Parts: sequence; C-alpha cells; structure tokens
Amino acid sequence: MSGAGSTTHAINVQDLGKKFLLQSRGESTLKSLTLDWITGRRKAREEFWALRDVSFSVQPGETLGIVGANGAGKSTLLALLAGTKQPTTGSVETHGKISSLLELGAGFHPELTGRENVYLAGAIMGLSRARMADRFESIVEFAELNEFIDQPVKHYSSGMYVRLGFAVAVEVDPDILLLDEVLAVGDVSFQRKCLERIGEFRDEGKTMLIISHDLETIKKVSHRILFLEKGGVQGLGEPEAIVDAYDSRSRSLQSVGLRREWGSGEILIKNVEIHDRNRSPCESFRFGEKLTADIAFEAKERIVSPVFGFSISDSEGRLLYGNNTQLEDFEIPFVEGCRTLRLHIGELRMARGIYLLSFSVHSADHKTNYHRLDHHSTITVTADAAFEGCYMPLQWEMDPRDAG
Amino acid sequence: MRSLPRDLLSHRELLWILIQRNLKIRYKNSVLGFFWTLLGPIFLILIYWAFIRLLKIQISINALITGIIVWQFVAMSLGDSLNSILGNANLVTKTAFPRFLLPLSTVCANSINYLLTFAVLLVFLFFRHAEPYALYFLPLILLTQFALCLGLSLLVSSLNVLFRDVEHLMSVMLLAWFFLSPVMYTNAYVTDTLAARTQLSEATDVIESPADQARITENTAKILRTCCLTNLVAQTELSDASEVTESLADQTQITENTAKILHACYLANPMAGIVTSYRSVLLSEDVLPIGMFVAPFLLSWAILFIGLGVFSRLEQRFGDEL
Repeated sequence: MSGAGSTTHAINVQDLGKKFLLQSRGESTLKSLTLDWITGRRKAREEFWALRDVSFSVQPGETLGIVGANGAGKSTLLALLAGTKQPTTGSVETHGKISSLLELGAGFHPELTGRENVYLAGAIMGLSRARMADRFESIVEFAELNEFIDQPVKHYSSGMYVRLGFAVAVEVDPDILLLDEVLAVGDVSFQRKCLERIGEFRDEGKTMLIISHDLETIKKVSHRILFLEKGGVQGLGEPEAIVDAYDSRSRSLQSVGLRREWGSGEILIKNVEIHDRNRSPCESFRFGEKLTADIAFEAKERIVSPVFGFSISDSEGRLLYGNNTQLEDFEIPFVEGCRTLRLHIGELRMARGIYLLSFSVHSADHKTNYHRLDHHSTITVTADAAFEGCYMPLQWEMDPRDAG
Repeated sequence: MRSLPRDLLSHRELLWILIQRNLKIRYKNSVLGFFWTLLGPIFLILIYWAFIRLLKIQISINALITGIIVWQFVAMSLGDSLNSILGNANLVTKTAFPRFLLPLSTVCANSINYLLTFAVLLVFLFFRHAEPYALYFLPLILLTQFALCLGLSLLVSSLNVLFRDVEHLMSVMLLAWFFLSPVMYTNAYVTDTLAARTQLSEATDVIESPADQARITENTAKILRTCCLTNLVAQTELSDASEVTESLADQTQITENTAKILHACYLANPMAGIVTSYRSVLLSEDVLPIGMFVAPFLLSWAILFIGLGVFSRLEQRFGDEL
C-alpha cells in the first residue's frame, strides 16, 4: 500500500471502484453456493457499485473535505483508504502512517477498559507500548475521561466513546488522518475542541480527509472538497463552489421528489421558463430582483375563462405564497391552440433560500383542474438581510404614550 | 504475504496484546483463573488414569496421557480459531492491521497454555519414570505441531467468515480426526493389526499376481476405517482388542507390501506422525524409524503454507463480509 513512489502525493487514487454483492437470500453457505453453482445461478446476487472510476490525489498537508448524500460512497472511500476494505478495481496509494476514525467506531473492544483500548489502538498502528505511554496522559486529558479510563468501554456513553476514539486517532501522530462524521457527535464544547485540534493538525502540515454533513464547518476546515454522488466524483475543487453545488444539487434532488403533475388535460402547460430581468433563463435571484415566468400552454379545444395560477413553496414543499389571474382581475375570455402567458414578479421579496414554483390552470369555478405542475421549477434566492419567509414593507414604532 | 516477517515485526506489540486478550477471555469470570491451565491437565490425567484401569485398554497410561494432551492443543486451537476473525469483526471493519495476527494470536495463546500443560506432563512422566529418547528432537516436534495448528487455524478462521458451515463441519471432522489419530491407541496397535492380516493372507496365499493390486486399493479405505472402528469397539464394549482384530483379519487379506503402504497412508495423517513422535521421544514407546516421520512433518509445514496462501486470498473480502 505505502510503496516508495516517486510522486509527492500523500494519497493517490486511480480509477478506484468498489463492488458489493447484495445478498438476497441470506448468508452464503456451502449449500447455497453449491446450489448456485449447479443451477448456474451464480449471477443471482445483485451487484452494487459503491464507488466507480474515482480518481483524485491529495497533496501532503492538504485537508480534503468529502461531501455527498447518504449512500454516495463516502464511507466506502474512507474504508478503502484506511485499508479495512479492498478495492475491486483501480488502486489506492498512500504515503505515510494512516490513522482513522471510521463511522463512529474506533474498533474498540467493548469488554476492554479505556486504557487497554488505547494501548490496543496504538499497537494496531504499530506503535510501541513505550511511545503509547508517553501519549497516554494527553489522550486521557483530551478525551476528558480521567475517572472512567479504567472502566470497560461498553459502559461509556456514545459521546465518551467518540471522544476517546478521536483523541487516540489524533494523538498517535499520524501523517494522514481519516475522519468520518466525527464532528456530528459529542456536545458542542467537544466539537469545538475537535475543530481546534483539527486546525492545529492542519497547521502542522498533516494530511486530512474529513467526511461531514456539517457544510459550514467542512467549508471552513477544508482546502478542497470532493463531492461524491452515486459512487462517482461529481465535483472537486474550491470549498465554497463545491458546497454550493452540492447544496443546490441535494435541494433539487429533493424537489424532484416533490414534483407532481396532474389534471384533466383540456389545457396543457407545455413548458415554463423562468427568466431574470434581462430575459435570459435564470435559476438564482437576488432579493428584490425581477422574475419573469413564460408559461407556454396548449388548449386542445376552446376553453372559456380559464384561470392561471402560481405558488411559491419552500424547499420542503410548504406553501408560502400563491396567486392567480382571477384574484388579480386579469381576464382571459377564452383560449384555444398554443399560446404563452407571461408572469412578471416585479420584486422577488423572498428570504434567502431555495424555493419551488408551482403552476396551474383551472376553470373559473375551481371545479376542474386542467393541468397542475406542482413544485415544477426550483429557484434560489440570495439576500443580505436574514429575515424569514417573505418580506413585507413594514415599520416598527415604540408607543410614545408610555414614555416617562 | 511477502511482507509477513515485516508485518510481524512492526506489529509484535499488537500480537502480544491479542495473545493476552485471548488468555484473559478464556479465564474471565473464573475464580481460579490461570490456575485452570495447570488444573485442567491434572484432572485430565486423573480421569484417564481411572478410566484406563476400568476399561483395560491396551495402552500405557503414559502414552495415553501424552496423546490426550498433544491432541488437546490441536483441538482447542482449532475450536478457538473459528471465531478468530468473526469474533473481532469490530476490529477488522474499523481498523487496518495484518489480519493473520488474529489466528496467529489464537494459536499462540493456546501454545502458551499447551507449554504449561506440557510442563505438567513432564513432571508427571518424571514421577512415572518414563524414559526419554532422543529428546533433542522435541523442539522440532513442538514447532511442527505449532505449524500444523497455525496452518489449520488460518484455513478455519478465514473460511468460516465466508461459509458459516465450517463451524458445523468442524466438530464432525475433529471427531473423525480424533479416531484416525493414535490418541486412544498407539501406532504399534495399527501395525500389529496390519501384521495380523498380512500373516493371514500369506498363509492363505490369496494375492499373488500384480493384477490383484486393484482389489487391494479398493480395500484400503475399508481397512483404515475398520482400524479405527476396532478401537472404538474395543474401548466401548470392553472387548479384547486382539480378539476383534483376529475376527476382522478373517475378512481381509493383504500382502506385506500393502500393509506397508497402508501404514504409510496412516502415518501421512500429520497427527499420527506427531503423536507417535512425541511418544517415541518422551516415553521411548511406539518408536519408529526416523524416516517414517518425514512425510507427516513435511505435510504439517505444507499445511501452514497452504493456510497462509488461502488466508491471504480470503482476507481481501473480510471487510465486505463482516
């Protein structure tokens, strides 16, 4: 694994792939395998590529953050780097001593005491007992476990467990540190301590790979961020840009789940295009900017007095605002054939966030829904002020009568 | 596996911790703790002593006790190896270290137990005025037995991760192996049985032509099986062994050559060679020409290398299967 390559990379990953075989029929036994072999059902086990064609390298001293949805392959990647799993294809090359804290577990043995586990962890890293003894005090101190260190770790709380795991992983003085979702556990004060230690580690010129769902934090500590999706690299680069990409990607994926299209079909909304004030297609707006939506529709027959509506929901689909042509007294006597209706929102007074736009066309009496596109388009709004929801012009005033 | 010596050196601390843990777990929650290592064999000796007097088995108490203690090491090592990897799933999935240390530590922990038991055995044999013979072979025998245990442990521990059947197969195989090995009987007993048949066949002059060799090989398996069954019957029914042998001999006819081949086959079982070598060296009983031990000893070492090969291939999958 840690060959003496001429490269200066701390980690070099080439075309890495990891295939898992999903077992549909319980554990494999000699019987099941023999049966499969005889009946030629060897392909019965479903394949699943947790990672595929992943290539990247990490320079010594670099901190690489890893983001991605659950099941994107983050933990598998770290397991392959740590060496607890073996790649199916491609190669992993690492230079230097690796210490890892994978998936909320440090490989502690529940029956052993904290002290014994510390020495066990050191021995796994290949550290001598004497070297471990030198670091023991600082490990216990960092983990804040003074009176519990001689208790079996099975009695530890999850916080204590992670604290000890983190302390050991950091204090064994590795060249490369792999951390999986460590920041998510423990109380706030310990999280802060972890972050401080990670910062120190960074300053010492150590290499780190950190998986976290805490986007703000990972943006702060990482030099670069790797964005994984469905086992592939979706992006790698500047933290700000990658986190934004990941953020909007995950939101749009979420909104896809909320999308719904229904109606009786006399009028069909063929397409909706969202434009900014320059009439160019746009998905992200600043607070107060102008938004135009071109609603292209087709009426298969002559429909009298249709009502077109739209609504704005938050990223989870909760309705924030809705309006229609009827309420605004925009008369449409009849429609027939293909036309385009244009909606102008002069000032988009929404708080910063992701919004879903729904469009609809229905009869004047609301009894027939010709066509509804729920949560059809996604837009992002950026704003300097941090109010919530929709902005309404307002004033604050202190009642002068009470004074004095 | 090329880096095996290096891994061993860099992780010697881990090996030691794992060995300690193995020993600790064995005597956890026991009042006498480590004393069981000594008490176990002492009770074993007492029980078999009483047993042998009751049953009148044709084996000396020294040979029987030696056989039992030697066998116990192998049986216990293998039993513990089943869970060497599975029982440490937490460690294997969360941390990276040379995996072979797990079965190795299991066998080492058992070796420590074995050596202590062995010391008890030596004391026992001393008081029984056993006469050692070519005692300088003892380290080689011990080492070969260790190699055999480690080889099998590597096989069993890794295969059990992928096929849980191994666990069930093991107890059956161990029982079969126990009776195929000269634990409750001696190698001399096997030789005698074969000799009895040879004489009979020579007398009746049945097999002359080489064409009949085919029939002999067919018989081979049958005879080996009966050898062991004879013992079983002898022990359980208190019947006179020689009587059984004679009656069985009536049914089988073999030449002297076949008898030799059969005996070589029997000794190819590494445990037959190892147990017999212990008896030769410690007790001057059951002594065989040194050449007879070459095959079982070589096979023991071969098993170690096969074990290492299989293990290094299967260990790639531990992380996925656990």
